[in-house]
Amino acid sequence: METNILYTHKSLVEKSKLGDRNAQYKLYELYVDAMYNISMRMMHIKEDAEDVVQDSFIEAFNNLSSFRYESTFGSWLKRIVINKSINQLKKKKIPVVPIENQMYHIKEDTEDVSPEIDIKNIVKGIRLLPPGYQQIINLYLIEGYDHIEISEILEISPSTSKSQYHRAKKKLIEIVKTL
Amino acid sequence: MDNFEKYIKDNKALFDVHKADKSKLWANIESGLNKPESKTKTIKLWSHPILKVAATVVVALGLFSLINIFIVGQANKNTQNYAALQELNDIDSHYKGLVAYQVKLVNKSTQLSSEEKKEFLSFMDELDIEYGLLKIELQKNVDSERILEAIVINYKKRIELIENLLEQINSSKKLDNDDVYTL
Repeated sequence: METNILYTHKSLVEKSKLGDRNAQYKLYELYVDAMYNISMRMMHIKEDAEDVVQDSFIEAFNNLSSFRYESTFGSWLKRIVINKSINQLKKKKIPVVPIENQMYHIKEDTEDVSPEIDIKNIVKGIRLLPPGYQQIINLYLIEGYDHIEISEILEISPSTSKSQYHRAKKKLIEIVKTL
Repeated sequence: MDNFEKYIKDNKALFDVHKADKSKLWANIESGLNKPESKTKTIKLWSHPILKVAATVVVALGLFSLINIFIVGQANKNTQNYAALQELNDIDSHYKGLVAYQVKLVNKSTQLSSEEKKEFLSFMDELDIEYGLLKIELQKNVDSERILEAIVINYKKRIELIENLLEQINSSKKLDNDDVYTL
């Protein structure tokens, strides 16, 4: 079963490896919106997100020979988009990790939120978080990475990822409640 | 996973609110891609109306440049012809000068009877006619190199003819002189 998922779009990927423009375009068509949304969530600026998506597809297709079905093509591509987005944010000096001194004033109380919140408000709430918090919420909650993967992406330890995530989530709930 | 997390994960799709500008992004991506190893280059993308227009423009530009190249090629050909003609004109004026000069000498010569002059000039006329034919041939551009050669030979013959004639005149003069001395 697992291998079946890993080999999603195998024939398209194989043709693309040989440089078949048609197959490359089909793959692009399948993934471009998802990748654009991922990048938009991180970059927030249309032009920046477009640049990231373009560069990611170019890198993906030009280095497709190094893709060996250890993950799905989609998650391989997504990782490229995420890495490029993080690099761009770093270049723009936008913090990708929460600032350290915010670490020491939390009490671990799990507030539960009514599950009836409008997703639009959550999207808005994420936008209102400090930049470092936004990335960890995006990566964990929306992109679905675990803390080990996030630790690789953001170059932090998995435990930092965990603790930062919990703080970010708490803050997000606070914000969403006010909306 | 708490309710909040679960709620978000269940509604993940709702976070994808943006639509990418597919054709614009692809155009930029395509220009950055390595050249494909295979020849299959047919791209589905032409179904987009904007790209159709772009493709038309590209095709039109291509045609235009092709026509342009063709015209320039023609012009080159013309300049080649022109060069040959120029060459011919140079040869022409050089030999014409020589021939005219020598014909003048013959006409001036008092040693020749009008009959002899007439005979000689009729030879020259023959060669003139041949020369005219060669010039027409040259414009047809069959084998310009050979025709040019023939024209040169034609001129050389005339000059040879004149030189021979003049030699004869001179030798007869000398003969006369010799006679005087022997006497």
